[in-house]
Formats: sequence, structure tokens, C-alpha cells
Amino acid sequence: MHIPDGILPAQVCVAGYAVTGLATWYSLGQINRRPDPSADIPKASLLTAAFFVASSIYIPLPPASVHLTLNGLLGVVLGYFAFPAIVIGLFFQALALGHGGLTSLGVNAAMMGLPALLAYHLFQARNSLGRPLREPARTGLFAFLGGALGVGLAVLIFLSLIILNIPAEVEAKAERAALLALSLSHLPLIGVEGLFTALLVLFLRRVKPELLEG
Amino acid sequence: MTTLSVDSYVPGGSLLHRWDPRLKLISLLALMFAFATVQHLTLVPAMATLSLGLYAAARLPLGLWRQRLSYPGLLILGLVLVLPFSLGPTVIWQWGGVALRQEGLVASALMAGRFLSILTLGLILLATTPFLSLLQAMRRLGLPVILTDMTLLTYRYLYEIADTLATMQRAMQLRGFGQGPQAWLRLNRQVLEQRAMLAGNLLIRSYEQSERVYRAMRLRGHGQGHPGRRSDKMQTLTPLWGLTATLLGAALGLIMAEVALHHGYNGIGL
Repeated sequence: MHIPDGILPAQVCVAGYAVTGLATWYSLGQINRRPDPSADIPKASLLTAAFFVASSIYIPLPPASVHLTLNGLLGVVLGYFAFPAIVIGLFFQALALGHGGLTSLGVNAAMMGLPALLAYHLFQARNSLGRPLREPARTGLFAFLGGALGVGLAVLIFLSLIILNIPAEVEAKAERAALLALSLSHLPLIGVEGLFTALLVLFLRRVKPELLEG
Repeated sequence: MTTLSVDSYVPGGSLLHRWDPRLKLISLLALMFAFATVQHLTLVPAMATLSLGLYAAARLPLGLWRQRLSYPGLLILGLVLVLPFSLGPTVIWQWGGVALRQEGLVASALMAGRFLSILTLGLILLATTPFLSLLQAMRRLGLPVILTDMTLLTYRYLYEIADTLATMQRAMQLRGFGQGPQAWLRLNRQVLEQRAMLAGNLLIRSYEQSERVYRAMRLRGHGQGHPGRRSDKMQTLTPLWGLTATLLGAALGLIMAEVALHHGYNGIGL
């Protein structure tokens, strides 16, 4: 789910870079507030590499198989480091695999990174909003919602950008119908990503809970 | 992940290889964004000539370009094939229920032209600049230290972590996971749990390794306010101001031509 070069007009690409620049600046500002920001850099970097590699694990989704985006999970585990991690991951994907592109890097980073930050805040809210629930159901539910929200929002942004920016002559009604149909076709993927995030977070909670401290 | 390679650098002695990475980055990115502004078919030959001329000047193998097309080409190919038959009212050829439309054809040609030209420029940038020089150039152009440090560390451990995952997947297969008839067609809780635990184990191993890496970095003085012997000097390369000015001028010229054509718009993007 990457937008390649040449599809979007330059104004959208520049706007994508502007949003990514702002979100990176905000994330780095939050990271620099920590007592020792450099202490978390190796952890965030190696986990960025691990997420990049883990996104190559395929999940059977009959009749095909899919690779998960893991942006919601990135938000849940890395917190404010998730946005820079996504920028770096997408940069590497553009270099190594040709996924995405250099002019569309800003748009792709905003599309994946903003939902990741929202997923982080949603997961952090488990202690306030999810108080009536018991553990581990609370962590599992909020991890599911974080994972599903991450990919769900990214899919919505992706489809909106593609459909609204390509054919100038297509009617608004047809655009809306296509957007709705394509969004609905991604529902199984959103469910699988949410479930995968919940299972993984519950596993980390049992084995290495400090990884979920954000 | 077996064919994973972040560094697409192809050694060579061309003018573009010797160009200062900072100026190369600025000039080629400006040209890529100028290409992205093109909405008129008349400018596509100019874009193609510029990018192919630069590719020839970089003396890069043609196979590299073809290899680069493989994945991103799929989405573009889908759009380029669908749009001529679905977009616009002007039918220029019809066979039964299939109608080729002028507006869709123009939109496809524009998209393909922009995509191929930008992809070629991106490839020139990556294939004539070693990854670390590119990163150093970005750093010197103002990219935050946290981002460059994270990029360097991620790059350093990427291959190692990819090898770890390959080993873990092989071990799982040897123990019978994911085997059996049509295993790839089954999605149940057990399959999802296995994949989640595989990814989780990879994260835990990486996290534990990061703690060792951090301790080693601290012992070497990281975060103590002394940059140590780490040099920020770039390899001596030719600035090539003439080439920089030519490409920035070409980028500006394309944008101005696009604006001029927009004001004399003829309705179908030609």
C-alpha cells in the first residue's frame, strides 16, 4: 500500500512533505523532552529494522496471502518514535524494493505515520477508557483497536488520494461509490491486522512487558 | 528478504558519480518535483529526454532500470491499462462494448511518462551515490541528528535482523509449522498466533540486542557531548555548478511551461 511516483500532482506531494515535516518535528520534540533522548535511539532503530523485516511475514487471507503494514503496532510499541521509524522504513523500502517513491515519500509517511500516532494514543488510553475491563482483555482489545485503526485509516487515506487525484473527468458520485466499494473490500485485512496486533501485544505482555511502555 | 539491498550504488567514474551529493540531491529532487507538476502531454517528451539523457550520462546499465520497474510498475500498469477504457466521453475506437477514450488515453500516457521519468531520476540519484554519502549529504542539509542516527543504526542491523528472521522461519518449517496440503490457504487462530509469535520473538531479540548496542555505544562515549573521531567531512567531490544550474533551470522551465500551457488549456490535456 504505497503510492508510487508520478500518480499524485506535485502540490499533493509537497503538502505530504509539509505534513510529514510537521509530524516529525512534533514527534522529535516529544522525544527530546525525555531525560535522555539518545538512550532510546538504539531501541527504536533496531525495532524499526525488525518491523521492516517483520512486514515481510505473509499472512494467509484466502484466496491469497497478504503482508501486514504493522503501522498500528509500530505506534503501540514505539510511541513517538513510530513516526520517524515509518519515515525511515518507507525511505528504505523506496531504496531497496522500489515500493513508493521519493516524491511520494512525504505522502506515504503521513498516510502511515499519522494513524500510527493515533494508534499509540488510543493504546495509551486503555488505562483510562478501558478501566471497566480486566486484564488481559483490556490490553488485547485496545491493541486490536490500535492495529485496526492504524491500517484502516491508512487504507482510507490511500484510497481517497488515489481516487480523488487521478481521473479529473470521473463524476463525484462514481468516485464516492468506488471509494466505498474499495474500502469495504479492505475490511477483512483490517480485521486480520487488528487481530494480529492483539495477539502479538498479548504475547509481548507475557514475555517482555517493558516493550509496551512506549 | 533475500534480495534486500538498500544500497543501489553502482561504482563508476561518470560526471554524475563525481557530483557533490548535496547539489545532486537538491537538483534531482527539484527536477523530480517539476516532473510531478506536468499535466500536459506536450511536455512528456522533454521530461523523457532529460531523464534518459542523464541516465546515459551516468553510464548505468539498462538492466538496473528494468529491474527497478518490476514492483511499482504493477499499480501504474493497472491504471494505465484501465483508464483508456473507462475515462472520458470522447470515443476514438470501439469494438463491441469496449471503447477506447481519448481522455483516458491522455491521462494514461501522462501518468506513465511522469512515473518513468521520476523513477529514472530516482535511480540515477541512488545508483551514483553510495548510501552513506547520501545520508551524510542529508545530514549536512539539515536533517535532524536523531533521524540520521536512527537511519544509520537501522541500516547497520537490517541485514542481521533479516537473517535472524530467515533462520527462525527455517527452524519453524523444520518443526512442521506451515506444512501440509494448502497450508497457505488456511487462516485460523493457530496460524495467526504462530505468525504473531514469530514477529514478537523477532522484536524481543532486536530489543535485547539494542540494549547491548546501547551499552557498547555508551562505553565508546555516545551521548557524552564529544563527537569523538567521527568525521563530518564529506569525500572531496566536484560541485559541478554548471550542471546544478542547468538542472535547476530545466526544473524551473518545466514548471513555467506547465503554467503557460495551463493558461492556454485546450480541454483534454494535450
